[in-house]
Amino acid sequence: MAGAPPDALRRVPLFADLNERELGQVARLFKQRRFAQGETVTKEGLGGAAFFLIDAGEANVTVGGAARGKLGPGDFFGEIALIDEGARTATITATSELDCYGLTLWEFRPLLQENGAISWKLLQALTRRVRQLERG
Amino acid sequence: MKEIVPLEKAREESVFGAKAVGLGEAARSGLPLPPGVALAGPIVEAVASGEEEAIRKVAKSVAPLGTPLAVRSSAVDEDGAEASFAGQHLTLLNIASEDALNDALREIWWSANSDSAITYRQRVGLFTRPSVGVVVQALLDPETAGVMFTQNPITGADERVVEASWGLGEAVVAGLVIPDHFRVARDGTVLERIAGRKQVAIRSRPDGGTFEEQVAPELVEQLCLDDGKLGELNDLATRCEAVYGAGRDIEWAFAGGQLYLLQCRAVTRVAS
Repeated sequence: MAGAPPDALRRVPLFADLNERELGQVARLFKQRRFAQGETVTKEGLGGAAFFLIDAGEANVTVGGAARGKLGPGDFFGEIALIDEGARTATITATSELDCYGLTLWEFRPLLQENGAISWKLLQALTRRVRQLERG
Repeated sequence: MKEIVPLEKAREESVFGAKAVGLGEAARSGLPLPPGVALAGPIVEAVASGEEEAIRKVAKSVAPLGTPLAVRSSAVDEDGAEASFAGQHLTLLNIASEDALNDALREIWWSANSDSAITYRQRVGLFTRPSVGVVVQALLDPETAGVMFTQNPITGADERVVEASWGLGEAVVAGLVIPDHFRVARDGTVLERIAGRKQVAIRSRPDGGTFEEQVAPELVEQLCLDDGKLGELNDLATRCEAVYGAGRDIEWAFAGGQLYLLQCRAVTRVAS
């Protein structure tokens, strides 16, 4: 199957305001990616360029070497990297074979550049996040 | 533009990548390559995206090669930035089904789009989307395989240096064995034979992937190449130098008694 399941993407706050058609456009850009057990999925401090949604399997999260929980099916990470290309804030390691749907900024950016409606909704979602952070 | 071509028709580095074009040149020069095809970056991406038409096209094109297959990335070297793919050159051996081939192409696509690949590209000022071609070849089931330098990489002497072991050449390349070591003069005279300790051989599994096989005790320290085969390797070295120039680093294999060229690169370690 090409792309990620749109319903799974709906849970991602960044995409929460998109309508069916827009969500479908984003979902089609995803590619499946499998990580082997023990493989480093993201490394803290390293530049990030992709967002991942977990389809199956589990992963550990650490920050500065300290455990910060586990990820499993339906969990996602790296959505901000799609926009700012900034460094990864955590190390994620696959603790089993890990099947993900991945989206790189190379695919995502052209969609936003061509589609003002999607860009506006993402801007609103990000602004909401800023307000939440300001409120603490 | 054709997105899938037989290796001998792979000519444009910007489409098929450096490895495919290098092998294409070898095929056009009559060097003994395992049969194969080159896939352009866009069709690799389309398969990675799960596009059914692309998957069908690739499956149809590789069907004449049979199985198993060897699948190798062939980085498209934009702006002379070959180093941007350092560490992302990927070879996947013993691909035995259409599904495994699609998985392999997806893995290669992601290797060029990983965090580390993209971070590197940003650091060197490359903000373009990476493109990665692929070479798909019939995977040999070799009796012996290894590497050969057409000039001595340590001393710079004008002689061939051969390292060889049983089975697939990955045992030598990955340092899993102490390979047999030979030095051969340009006239074919064998100057030195040193038996290694070849306790394991890498073999293909029938259902895909590879495994380490324990080598029979009597073969561990037995030379795996005789003077006749070293003579064939010397001839191959001469032909490769005629095509590519002096100072080559060659991967080779003997399968069914026939010598095949797997890869030919410039030597990067010749002493000054």
